[in-house]
Amino acid sequence: MKRDLLPSAVDPTVFDEYFLRQLERLMLVTKKAVHGGMKGVRRSVKRGQSVEFTDYRDYSLGDDLRALDWNLYARLEKLFIKLFVEEEDVNVHILLDASASMDGGSPDKLLFGKRAAAALAYVGLASYDRISMAVLQGKVARRFSPVRGTGRVFQVLADLSGVKPAPGPTDLASACRHYAAQITQRGPLILISDLFDDNAERAISELAGTRCNVAVLHTLSAYELDPPLEGDLRLVDRETGDAVNVTADLFTLDAYRARLADWQTRLDEVATKRRVAYLPTPTTMPLADLVFAELRRRQVVAA
Amino acid sequence: MGFLVPLALIGLLAVPIIITFYMLRLRRPERAVSSTFLWQQLVRDVEANAPWQRLRRSLLLLLQLLLAVIFAFLVARPFAEHPAGLARDLVLVIDASASMSSTDEFPDRLTAAKRVALEQMAQVPSDGRVSVIAAGDTARVVANEATDRGRIARAIESIEASTSASDLTDALKLAGSLAERARGAEILVVTDDAGSTVPNVTLEVPVRVATVGRERDNQAIAALAVRADPSGLKRTLFVSVANYSASAVVRRLQILADGSPVTARDLALQPLSRADVVIDELPAGAAVVEARISAPEASSEGSGPVDYLAVDDAAWAVVPPDRLRRVLLVGPGNVYLQNAFALLPNVELYGATAEQYPATTGKELFDLIVFDGFLPTELPRKPILAFAPPQTSALGVVNGTLDTFGMGQPAADDPLLRGVDLTRLHIAKTQSIDLPPWARPVIPGSDGPLLYSGLRDGLGTVVFAFDVRQSDLPLQVAWPILISNLAGELLGVGPQQAVDPIPPSSPVEIPMPPNSLGVRVTLPDGTVEQLAPGATGASSVTFVTTRQLGIYRAEVIAPPPPSLAPGQTPTPTPLPSPTVSPTVNPSANPSASPGASPAAPGASPAAPGATQDEPLLFAVDLFSPEESNIRPGDGARIGSLGTDVPAESEAPGMARDEFWPLLVTLALIFLIVEWLVYERDGARRILNGIRRANPFAARGAARRKGSA
Repeated sequence: MKRDLLPSAVDPTVFDEYFLRQLERLMLVTKKAVHGGMKGVRRSVKRGQSVEFTDYRDYSLGDDLRALDWNLYARLEKLFIKLFVEEEDVNVHILLDASASMDGGSPDKLLFGKRAAAALAYVGLASYDRISMAVLQGKVARRFSPVRGTGRVFQVLADLSGVKPAPGPTDLASACRHYAAQITQRGPLILISDLFDDNAERAISELAGTRCNVAVLHTLSAYELDPPLEGDLRLVDRETGDAVNVTADLFTLDAYRARLADWQTRLDEVATKRRVAYLPTPTTMPLADLVFAELRRRQVVAA
Repeated sequence: MGFLVPLALIGLLAVPIIITFYMLRLRRPERAVSSTFLWQQLVRDVEANAPWQRLRRSLLLLLQLLLAVIFAFLVARPFAEHPAGLARDLVLVIDASASMSSTDEFPDRLTAAKRVALEQMAQVPSDGRVSVIAAGDTARVVANEATDRGRIARAIESIEASTSASDLTDALKLAGSLAERARGAEILVVTDDAGSTVPNVTLEVPVRVATVGRERDNQAIAALAVRADPSGLKRTLFVSVANYSASAVVRRLQILADGSPVTARDLALQPLSRADVVIDELPAGAAVVEARISAPEASSEGSGPVDYLAVDDAAWAVVPPDRLRRVLLVGPGNVYLQNAFALLPNVELYGATAEQYPATTGKELFDLIVFDGFLPTELPRKPILAFAPPQTSALGVVNGTLDTFGMGQPAADDPLLRGVDLTRLHIAKTQSIDLPPWARPVIPGSDGPLLYSGLRDGLGTVVFAFDVRQSDLPLQVAWPILISNLAGELLGVGPQQAVDPIPPSSPVEIPMPPNSLGVRVTLPDGTVEQLAPGATGASSVTFVTTRQLGIYRAEVIAPPPPSLAPGQTPTPTPLPSPTVSPTVNPSANPSASPGASPAAPGASPAAPGATQDEPLLFAVDLFSPEESNIRPGDGARIGSLGTDVPAESEAPGMARDEFWPLLVTLALIFLIVEWLVYERDGARRILNGIRRANPFAARGAARRKGSA
C-alpha cells in the first residue's frame, strides 16, 4: 500500500515512505558554522535576519534604523546596531561507490548503500539542506543535480534507483579526487563504499582534504565478513576478473578474518588521523539501527 | 627376513603414484566473489598456470606414503625363521571336557587352552603337519594332517566345551594311532589335568603336555534324586552338595519344583566334603525338581571362594510318576482288609472268591494278590500277602492250627512295624507255620512266626499266620498303619520306578507303543528332534543327543487315524476288553473304591515309557566328581604315558614368525591418524557449530574471554 505512494521510477526496494517520517526528525551534523548559499536553518558565518542575537556594532549611516538598540541608546546615549545570526543551508555530499564489487552479498551491498544514501539524503532534505549526490564508477564521480527541499526526495530516490554496478575496475581514489575537485561548498560528506581498493586509504585522505565533515560507511556483506567457503576453490573477482586459488579450511578462514580485522583497523586509524568518522557497516545491519543508533553515536546525525 | 609373497612388493609403486598426485595441480571449482582484495594478500603461493606444482610438505602425504609402504609389506607377508620347538608331525589333543568350562582362566579354560595351542603352533616347522583332536564326550578328529595354519586355527577355534566327563583315554589312543603314521611324531596335549583318573593307555611317541587352570575352588551338586515313600503318599528329595575347595564355603541351595521355588537354605560346606540334604515335602503333582547352588549374596563376605565351574551348579530330577496299583483280594470277603486298602492312594482293589480264582485271567496285571484264608495250588508270580494260609505251600509249611500260643517281641526296627504299636494285640487262633528260609520274622511266636516277610524268588511276600478276624488287630489304630507299611513293602518303589538321571552324551532308550510313527524329543534349550523307529514295529528308539544338561521331554508321534472307505460308516472303537472283569464277582468286591472300574488293566503301566498321552521326562545331569574336582594338575602323569625322548631325532625344522599382526596394527593406527588429519577441519566445523548452537557454552566462552 505504501509502495503505491512512490513514483513508478523509484525502486520500491530502495526506500519506503514510512521510513521517511522517522528520518524527518534527524539532521546531519556540521561541526562549524557553514558558509551556505541560500536561506536555511543552519547557523552561518554571516550576520543576518534571524531572531538569534549575536553582537553589536556602531551605527553607520545608511543602516536600517529598525536594528538600532534603543534601550542601549537610552543608557549610553550612543547608537548601536544589533546583529543577528544568519541561517543558511548547507551542501551535503553523498558519494556512493557503484563499482562491480558492490554488486553482491546478501543483502546486496549496492542496495544497502542506496538505502543508506537515500536515508541520509532525506535527512538533509528535511533540514532544508542541499543534497549533492555522486556515484563513483571507474575513475570519475558521476554527479546528480543538487536538490533541496523534501519535495525533491522522489527525485533522489529515482536517481538512486537508476544506479547500476559499473562493469570493469573502479579506481576509488581517482574517483574521490575527481569529486573533491568539484566541491565548492563544504558540508557533511558521506562516502558509502566497500573500500575494496588498493588505494582506499588514499581515497579517504582525498576526501579528508576537502575539509568537509567526512564520514565513511564501510559496507561489507556477511559473505565477506564470514565467508561460507569450504574446500579447494578458485575465487574470481567480479570487478577485475582476477582469480585466486584457496583451500578454504578453518585455518585459512581464520587467517582471512584476522586479515579483515587488520585491514579495518588500519582504515580506522587512517580515518581517525584525518578526522574522518569510520563506520564498519555490515549489510545485515537494519537501516534504522544504522541511522538512529550508529550514525547518531558517531555524531554524523543528530536529533 | 623373507617374504612369502615377494611379488606383492610391486605395491610400493603406489609411493611415486601418490607423490605424482600431490604434484598435479588441483582442479578447483570457481566461485565468484565481490573482490579478491583480501584473499590475494592472504594466499602466498599464487602459482603460474602450470599443470605441475612444487611438492610441499604435507602431513597427509607423509601418512599416505607410510600407509602405502605398510600395505605393500603386509601383502608381501614378511617373516623371520627360527628353529622349531615341536616335531614336524604333531598330534594336538585339546581337552574339551566339562571341567574345561571353569572360569579361573579368562574367559574359561577351554579358550585359554585354544590360546595356548595357537601359540604352540608357532613352534611347528613351516612344513609341519598337524592333526587336531577334540577330547569331549568322544574323541573327535577336527583336523587331519593339516598344513595350512589358517585351517588349523579354524579347527582349534571350532572346538566347543562338552558337558560330559572325559578321561582322555580315547583321545590319547586315537592320537597314538595317528602319530604312529609318521616317524618322529609328537603328541601335544592341552588340558587342565583335573581329576584323579589316569588315562589307561601307553603311547610309543613323546607326549608333551601344556596345562591350563589355576584354581580348584568349585562346589557342585553331586547327587539329586527323588524317591517315593514306600506308602506312595509322599516324595522325598535327596540332594548332595560337594565342596571341592580347600576352604570352607557357604552356598545357598535352591529347590524348584516345575520352575517354582520350593525351598532355599544356606549350607556350610567344610573343605573337601559333602553335605546331604533331604527334603520330604515336595509339592503334590510336581513333575520336575531342579536344584541350584549359588553364593548366598553377591556382596556378602565370608561365603568363601568363588565357584569357578558353573555347569555342575544345577541338577534336575524327574519325580516318579504316580502309578495306579491293582490289588486282587481272593477270599470270602474281608471288610477290614477292604477298608484298609481303600485308604491307600493310587490303589485299585479287585475281588474274587476262591472258586472264581482259578478261572481268573490276567493275573499278571495285578501288582499284589492278597489271599485271605485261601491259597491256590500254584502260587502266581506276583507279590503275595497271605492271611492264615490253609495248607502248606511255598509260603511255608503249615503244621496245624493253634489255640494256645505265645507272642514274641516284635522286631522294633523292622520297617513293617514303623509306627505300629502291637503291645495290646490279642490273637485267638493262628496257624502254626514253619518260617521259610527266605523270610524274616516280624512278629515271632512261641510255635512259629505270627507275621513274617521276605523276598520269595525275588517277589515280596508277607504272611500273616492268623486270620485278622480272629484277633483285635483290625480294631486297633495300628491296623491301617500296618497295611500301609505292608503296601509300601509289597507295592513300593521298585527299580523300574526310580527315574535315574542320565549322564551327558549317553544314549537313552525311549520305549514307544507299537505302530507309533516315532518320538519327538524336546531338548532343554527348546529345540525339537524327531526320531523314527529303526524298524517297523520297533518298541523303542535310541536318543543320543544328550549333550545338554537339563530336562528332556519325549512324546510319541501317533499314527494318523485310518481313513474310511467311501460309504463306510464309522463304528465305535472297541475298548480294550478287561480281561479280569468277567471273572470278578461284583458281590464279592463290596468295598472296591467306587471309581475303581476294572476296565483299565489292559494298559501297560510298567516301565516309565512314553505313551501317547503322557510324555516321558528324563533328566541329564553331570554328577561327575572327576569333572567337578577342577584342581589342575601339572600334566606329568599324562606326559609319562609317552616316551621320554623322540624315538629318532631328525634335524629340527624351521618355524616362521610372520609380522602381519604388527603391520596390521601399524596400518590401522596410521589409517586412523590419516583420517583424523583429513577430517580435522570438519571436526572443528562441527565443534564450532555445536558451540554456536549452545547459547550457554557460547556465553561461558565469551565470559571467559572477557575475564581474560
